[in-house]
Amino acid sequence: MDLLEYQAKNLFQQMGIPVLPSQQISQPKDLKGLKIPYPIVLKSQVYTGGRSKAGGIRFVENTIDAVAAAQAIFHLPIMGQYPEVLLAEARYQPERELYLAVVLDRSSRRPLLLGSQEGGVEVESVVGQMQQVIVDQEFSPFYARRLVLKMGLRGELIQTVSSVVEKMYRLFLEKDLDLVEINPLAVSARGEVMALDGKIIANNDALARHPDLTALCSQQPLSNRTRITGALPAGMNLVELDGSIGILCNGGALTMATLDLVYKAGGKPANYLNVGGEFSHHLPPNTLPERVRQGLEVLGRDRGTKVVLLNIVCGGVGCDDVTEAIAAHWRRRSVGHRPVLMVRLAGSRFDAAHEILRGLEIGVVHDLDEAIAQAVSLSKSKVA
Amino acid sequence: MLFSAASRVLIQGITDPLGKVYAPLMQQYGTQIVAGVASGQGDTNFHGIPVFDLVEQAIATVGQVDTTVICGHPYMVLDAALEAIAAGIRHLVLLTDGVPPLDMVRLLRKAEATETLVVGPNSPGIIVPGEILLGTHPPDFYAPGPVGLISRSGTLTYEVALQLTQAGFGQSIAVGIGGDRIVGSSFQQWLQILEEDEATQVIVLVGEIGGDSEENAARYIAEAIDKPVVAYIAGRTAPLEPVMGHAGAIIAALVADLSTEIGTFESKLAAFKAAQVPVADRPSQIPDLVKKALQKVS
Repeated sequence: MDLLEYQAKNLFQQMGIPVLPSQQISQPKDLKGLKIPYPIVLKSQVYTGGRSKAGGIRFVENTIDAVAAAQAIFHLPIMGQYPEVLLAEARYQPERELYLAVVLDRSSRRPLLLGSQEGGVEVESVVGQMQQVIVDQEFSPFYARRLVLKMGLRGELIQTVSSVVEKMYRLFLEKDLDLVEINPLAVSARGEVMALDGKIIANNDALARHPDLTALCSQQPLSNRTRITGALPAGMNLVELDGSIGILCNGGALTMATLDLVYKAGGKPANYLNVGGEFSHHLPPNTLPERVRQGLEVLGRDRGTKVVLLNIVCGGVGCDDVTEAIAAHWRRRSVGHRPVLMVRLAGSRFDAAHEILRGLEIGVVHDLDEAIAQAVSLSKSKVA
Repeated sequence: MLFSAASRVLIQGITDPLGKVYAPLMQQYGTQIVAGVASGQGDTNFHGIPVFDLVEQAIATVGQVDTTVICGHPYMVLDAALEAIAAGIRHLVLLTDGVPPLDMVRLLRKAEATETLVVGPNSPGIIVPGEILLGTHPPDFYAPGPVGLISRSGTLTYEVALQLTQAGFGQSIAVGIGGDRIVGSSFQQWLQILEEDEATQVIVLVGEIGGDSEENAARYIAEAIDKPVVAYIAGRTAPLEPVMGHAGAIIAALVADLSTEIGTFESKLAAFKAAQVPVADRPSQIPDLVKKALQKVS
């Protein structure tokens, strides 16, 4: 989960990382009660980047200008997002701008410290100069100093900047984050540092043990909002496309493999839904039939779908258990629009499953390639 | 092989939802489950398996344990794993998904220091057909034979095993290393184990888009593996997730491989081609490529 800049800065402040005096603005008239002296900067609080280029960051000298600028920013979408809050912040004149980040590195399976003397908005162009330090054992401040020296900093700045890195790491660990980033970390002529902008991504799997982050999450707009459903049942993953074949599978890689096969056979997927795999503590394998039923309900709402292809590989439950759920769904949806079902099942008790579905005139096969071929052919037939 | 019918197995979290489903299936397959652990439920038994409050109590009563299968709540997995390591167990199989990645970082530091093999999390575990089941693989899909199967997924692994078995190619072992960003054992580790395993004549590697495990595996195959390897990669047509955030966050993501921008299908395909590993374009083509590879060997 991404945090907004002001939420990230609240966490920085709790950790003792220097940030500018600031205030949240929920509506332009809030600026009349501003406690920070002018000049200030107003910043749109959206989850995407490119705020500066899009006009979501404005410098103002007085209340009249500030109210006008705030009105403009509230009405300015950035990559489709409107801000619900602006951040009013004191202005700061940096002498130089650094880039710092702590992130989890998949290859080394360790946290990674990143740093560059070329911070600011153009940091993308200097990715090759990014310095890295892997925190291979338990963290100690020398890892931070190692990064700062690699970045080429000297003298008193070594201690000042490495102390910021150390605090970023502690935050990263304490809150189970995927990323903590300060860009830029401003350095003044007197050698003082200030986090001018920050980014935090919290780890979704760990959210439930951080009530403070969970509270921020509940303020967030639904990112899972889709054309055919408001919110998906827990543990499911839906991607919508614009073809005519709905795809429902259990397990991420199986879903992707099935999608690949449908494309390869000349079919056009309308969407693909992973109802979850086999290893969830909260949704163990014996909940698979119910997840399949809920998944069918979700996909059944898409009016553009002619065929729904189910590819279910049963491990912890039998094929017939899953079939009962399909049959229950099918019987209930007897009126009006219903996409044709093409069912592929692998697992124990296939014959019993076959029997049940044949009685309902639903196509069911054991072979994956055959199921794909039949689904694609059904999606192209006029009667369907 | 590290795992056989003689291995003595512990199940931690045996009365948790995953343990309840899979412990009896493992037992039915013939896995020697000598004890289960469930805090607060010591002195009971589950399907005839004695249950203890602590790993050390289990070992004190039933004797030595070779492998533990951990299937508890995702936030308890780190503790269960550290408890097993402290009790001297050196083979850990983690089934549960949703383990916080920083818990895995802590666990892996400990595992490396103690030379403990950690498989998973978010993993179907291991099956040695005809010998032992340490996880969730549906036994009907597997048969003993010469193919070593390694994968990052769950149900897709079963699918590939089924296609192999139906085509007459049994498996020496099948291992799911886990689908999470941070997992214990890597493809390289298993490639090396299978290279040295006498029962394995050909290796099938099932990958998917995202991350750089396949690219690293391909490099390792070129450098260190003499046995033939056949690969499959899921996700050729899956759209990449958009990267949000600042310019900088994108940098950090790129450097640390947080996003799916690195690890595209094309990059993995190119890596396997460079390592001269044939890549199947659908699961049902894997048996054909295995057949060719076996013909070359003999």
